[in-house]
Amino acid sequence: MGKQHVVTMLPGEGTGPEICEAVRMVIDASGVDIKWEYEDIGLDCLEKYGTLLPDKTIQNIAKNKVALKGPTTTPIGTGHKSANVTLRKVFDLYANVRPAKLIPVLKRPWDKIDIINFRENTEDSYAAIEHMVSDEVAQCLKVITWPGSYRIADFAFKWAKANGRKKVWCVHKANIMKMTDGLFLDAFREVAKKYPDIESGDIIVDNCCMQLVRNPAQFDCLVLPNLYGDILTDLCAGLVGGLGFAPGANVGDGCAIFEAVHGSAPKYAGMKKVNPSAVLVSGIMMLRWLNEEAAAAKIEKAMFAVLDERKHVTYDVGGTAKTDEYAQAIVDKMHANA
Amino acid sequence: MPTFTETAKATKKKKEIKLVGVDMYIITEKGIPKFDDIGPFKCEFISNRGTKVWPGFVSPDLLQVNWYRCRFMATKDVQDADVNTFLDALTRKGWWWSAAQKLWNYDGEAGFSKAY
Repeated sequence: MGKQHVVTMLPGEGTGPEICEAVRMVIDASGVDIKWEYEDIGLDCLEKYGTLLPDKTIQNIAKNKVALKGPTTTPIGTGHKSANVTLRKVFDLYANVRPAKLIPVLKRPWDKIDIINFRENTEDSYAAIEHMVSDEVAQCLKVITWPGSYRIADFAFKWAKANGRKKVWCVHKANIMKMTDGLFLDAFREVAKKYPDIESGDIIVDNCCMQLVRNPAQFDCLVLPNLYGDILTDLCAGLVGGLGFAPGANVGDGCAIFEAVHGSAPKYAGMKKVNPSAVLVSGIMMLRWLNEEAAAAKIEKAMFAVLDERKHVTYDVGGTAKTDEYAQAIVDKMHANA
Repeated sequence: MPTFTETAKATKKKKEIKLVGVDMYIITEKGIPKFDDIGPFKCEFISNRGTKVWPGFVSPDLLQVNWYRCRFMATKDVQDADVNTFLDALTRKGWWWSAAQKLWNYDGEAGFSKAY
């Protein structure tokens, strides 16, 4: 067994705890040595701490620098601030990395999709600067900065170079928002000059949506401001099989949090019914970030095999297995493959 | 395609509007600003790119730009003229600011967001 990693586990709420237990079982069975430290996050914290994100949780993540997070619910409209957005802000997790890759056994209308989205995670209309500027006008400031745009573009090109990717696209609406999206595009073009071996291009966001649903195979890496990124990453997840299989990583210079991007499905809480794959593939991303490639590959291979057999899969992919039964089937497959 | 002869006119409900503070957008290269109380206005928080940088925990890795939102809340009932005096005092203290946004409550509810 190699180096021990200490990871903050944030089970979240609703179905989060049962999903995270299933995922922990699979990761622990892969042979990787992880000490899990559990902390609270989400709506269940409100009564106990008066906040969705307690200070104790923040301090633990600050110590460990890496966390795996289950789903949480963000209240709509008035009320408490999103725990997810707060985490990204507090730890300056500026790069939201959202791969969208076809899983072979999930039948989709396309032969190939292998897109990596790099969503700027801290600026844009998510800067929480909103005012009722009169009793009938609301205003939200869209904040785009040169250093914020520069670093997400550089992150995307670095990732592309390290992973043998060929082209990075900048997605924008600079034809209309000439200052904000114009600045984002300028920064992208400046960064692109540093990476002559990687092809670069730009595309207007509405055209990008249309092209994605018509011919997604043409895209490789996309770098996007926060709001377009929020929308297009879910679009890409839909292309490859839905949010149930969509991993996500929020990465900063000093910290990374890996999470499912789907909701907490509170109506299924305690029923052990839901598919834990999104948190599991996020966990696989985390293992690769921790340089545990062997464990990551072992889990991935076993998961694909279990999905391919369709004997122990959850209801959303046509099976009847419970959350933990699906996880156990992956563990059994790993042992059989060993 | 159907055609419509009337365009809906939005209903409007009269609300009670009360001035309760000012968001100041300060430009500085000297890091997080520090303020004493200025007349009836007290600095409640400062954010940078939407992230609260004062008071409380700030990640040492946090990217900050030279533009800070500084929220000043009134500690007593204030009028528009008090904001004019406040802006003048702030400018005389040497602060360079790009914009000011008055903060109003509407029927007792805040018409402005909190920082993350």
